Amino acid sequence: MEPTEDLLDRQLREAIPYIEDDGFTARVVQKLPPAKGRRRSLRSVILIGSSALASGAAYILSDGGRSVVVELSRLAAGSIWWVFGIALASGIAVMAGGLAAAMAKPGQLQP
Amino acid sequence: MELTDADLIARVLVDDDQHAFSELVRRHQSAVRGVLRQLTRTDVALADDLAQETFLRAYKHVRSFRGEAKFSTWLYRIAYNCFREDARKRKELVGVDEAQLQGELDPQTSDPGLRHDLMHALSLLPLNERSAVTLCCQNGLSHDEAARVLDIPLGTVKTNVLRGREKLKKMLQAWAN
Repeated sequence: MEPTEDLLDRQLREAIPYIEDDGFTARVVQKLPPAKGRRRSLRSVILIGSSALASGAAYILSDGGRSVVVELSRLAAGSIWWVFGIALASGIAVMAGGLAAAMAKPGQLQP
Repeated sequence: MELTDADLIARVLVDDDQHAFSELVRRHQSAVRGVLRQLTRTDVALADDLAQETFLRAYKHVRSFRGEAKFSTWLYRIAYNCFREDARKRKELVGVDEAQLQGELDPQTSDPGLRHDLMHALSLLPLNERSAVTLCCQNGLSHDEAARVLDIPLGTVKTNVLRGREKLKKMLQAWAN
């Protein structure tokens, strides 16, 4: 490398001064949108609340869960292949859902 | 022990931790503002506005950062996009008259300090050469990283760096004589 090039590279590197923050970071943070933490907890409350309401409604509508007990005993009394089929179908459905979620990639954003 | 950029990004992603993000801003503000000052031809106010926009976009799109490149490279990419959009809005001419450059490079008319002259000459290079030299020679990005930041082919980056350096070298030789 020629001495001039060497000098040029050195001068270019040294020519960048460190820019003091001088409140820059604070100004950026001030302009950030509100943190999602609170919104997330609100969403949790809504989800848990609506689930509890739905469970309560289901309990009342199923006559204290009696219809569920009846259906379960009917299922238990039925063919073993029928139970096996339902279990297999449920397993496949859950597995497919899990695979789809795992393979889903977030879109490539170009900020 | 000081947290790495990756640790801080993970905190932003998982907890939306704004303190972690402010630490990232504090770490990278000088480099980002420095590059933007070069791109805007040392317009400090405009460069700082664009730097602010850069970090706000980075926060908004942090989920799209996949860690394939360095966080600083990703930030430079956003900064360059912000600059380009702003330049388009302002219809800035992205080149400079060679005669004007030669006039400015005349040591008789330049300020005495070599470093000042160098920065001044750098600010007068055409945008494509200026951005390539700023990223590669000043901020230590590889040609490949600069190509990603500027979204141009690797060969073009190399050519721009070479051309920019040649012009700056001429100025340096004139100063040395």
